[in-house]
Amino acid sequence: MTGLDANVYLPRPAILDRVEDEIADVRSFYWHFEDPADDERFAGFLPGQFAQVSVIGAGEFPASLPPSPTERERFFTVRKVGSVTDALHALKPGDGFGVRGPYGNGFPMDAYEGMDLVFVAGGIGIIPLRSCIVYAMHHRQRYGRIQVFYGARTPRELMYRTAMDAWAAAEGVECYRTVDRADETWDGPVGVVGSLFKLPGVTVPVGNTVAFVCGPPIMFRFVIKDLLAMGLPEGRIVSTLERYMKCGVGKCGHCCIGVAYVCVDGPVFTYEQIRKLGEDI
Amino acid sequence: MRARLVARDDVLRIVDLLRARGYDVVAPFMGRGRDTWFDLVTDDNRSAVALHVPNPYYPPKRYVLPHIERLMVLRNVNGRFEAEAQAETQRLAVFGIRSCDLAGIKHLDRFYLGREYRDVYYESLRRGMFLVNMACTDPEQDIGPDCFCVCADTGPAARDGFDLQLVDLGDSFMAVAGTPQGEELFSEPIFARAHESDVARRRDVLAQARRSFRANTSWFTAAVRAVSTDSIPEKTWEEIGNRCLECGGCTFVCPACTCFTVTDRAIGPDTYERVRVWDSCALNGFTRMAGGFNPRRAVHDRRNRRFFRKLSHYFVQRELSVACVGCGRCAAVCHGDIGMPSVVEMIRRSLAEAFQSQVAKPQGPVRADR
Repeated sequence: MTGLDANVYLPRPAILDRVEDEIADVRSFYWHFEDPADDERFAGFLPGQFAQVSVIGAGEFPASLPPSPTERERFFTVRKVGSVTDALHALKPGDGFGVRGPYGNGFPMDAYEGMDLVFVAGGIGIIPLRSCIVYAMHHRQRYGRIQVFYGARTPRELMYRTAMDAWAAAEGVECYRTVDRADETWDGPVGVVGSLFKLPGVTVPVGNTVAFVCGPPIMFRFVIKDLLAMGLPEGRIVSTLERYMKCGVGKCGHCCIGVAYVCVDGPVFTYEQIRKLGEDI
Repeated sequence: MRARLVARDDVLRIVDLLRARGYDVVAPFMGRGRDTWFDLVTDDNRSAVALHVPNPYYPPKRYVLPHIERLMVLRNVNGRFEAEAQAETQRLAVFGIRSCDLAGIKHLDRFYLGREYRDVYYESLRRGMFLVNMACTDPEQDIGPDCFCVCADTGPAARDGFDLQLVDLGDSFMAVAGTPQGEELFSEPIFARAHESDVARRRDVLAQARRSFRANTSWFTAAVRAVSTDSIPEKTWEEIGNRCLECGGCTFVCPACTCFTVTDRAIGPDTYERVRVWDSCALNGFTRMAGGFNPRRAVHDRRNRRFFRKLSHYFVQRELSVACVGCGRCAAVCHGDIGMPSVVEMIRRSLAEAFQSQVAKPQGPVRADR
């Protein structure tokens, strides 16, 4: 056996500490590495990076890292959507699973220093953006205005409710939420997430702003249209792409679009780059 | 030049010498008609090793990238997750690898071992390898109707990447060493001194081989330019896509294709093996994500992908060569005739048509003196 210590495909053992249900079929999994040395290696991750998660007997899948590197707790937030995520959802606290990473470029949060940050998310698109929001709030003095616009289909599908309530109450963050269809528990705005930009009293500066957009394809297209119409240049709209991935390290070929391997050259791209890659979001 | 002569009757003794040095040796064999394959040389089949053969459709790539390869064993140990990596090592010599396939392995070296992540599995199989390149000089056997290595700049005789190269001079073979390991063999008595006149004969034989190529050709430069400037009409990609049966054959016979998928399968109670398996961008599920969303819905999106990946200048620079070695296997196996040469020709033709329609409809005022 040669050089297996440098084996990028080898997951490291992790243990599930507890789970928290977010919305129907979406659950957060709090975990730690068995070996503290693995944790140290992992600790330097950037907002927007991802990890490969292995569940015994089911396989491996790429998962966003919703925690900010400034937080102590490690967790994934995962929708039950296929065989491996089903298996992850079946795990109980104390069960083991595998993690390798972090992978990908991540959001260049340092490059955004001094800029206004606008976060626009739909549904579970908030998962990768959560990391940036918490990161920016932790380094509050390094950024200008911070605005969060979030939309879900119904009030029952609003993600990270407690965290977002806290952001809404916090100094220096403007947090707006909307739903497509209200119910009796909801007295907030109703409409697509883009409609929040036009709420009375809401102003979105674009002069020195970077907009983070993440959500389902249809939402993405409409929000991009809104932002471009508001005068935001394509190069200052950033998103993170999802692709079928098997390796995470630029070898298996599944996530390659245009001239980019999403796993190593992305998953974070500006809208300008995404448009040139020439494939559906 | 570190060159020697080997008498025709002695050339298979190179196989014996390699076996004596502890190598497992694979070499080409010939069945009926076009049926050829690489196989392990044993005492029994050693005399049947074929020197000049139509290149087997199944490329020797599989000796560095097996089509199914175990990566690790995963165990559930009382709820604990355990992963144990397993990488095969080998001391393998490929006798008679063609120049195109050698270029394929060089391409894989740059892809799997280059850039920020190294693939330890590839490395572990590749490390102990000894490559004996046989130059393609026989117009009946070696140089087939689909070969176009001269367009891909990979053959008929490789420039480098081999440990030993053999060129058939008739009564003897000229052996050229490409590495110290190759040169080490020259201490054996079967290798005789080569003279100026032998070098000249080698040159003549290769010049003759170059003239033996058939009609199949590939205008890479034009296609690379068109792909890289995004100037291929959507209509052309659709025509290419319409002819694709989505069988994946082109990718599975390609010496330069690298894609794989990974899957876990049970091998015992609470024990699973994680294997990687060749995958193909021609297949519908290649980009389909959990939940069903597939960013590449149309067949032509997928075909576009294969040729974009191989011909885009960005990747040509990144991997230092077009990801096509001119072996012609895709042309031979494709039921829809959209192997690399045909696709390049379709691209070239669409550019020519676009150019002609531009000439036919001049823009702006026509100068009076014309």
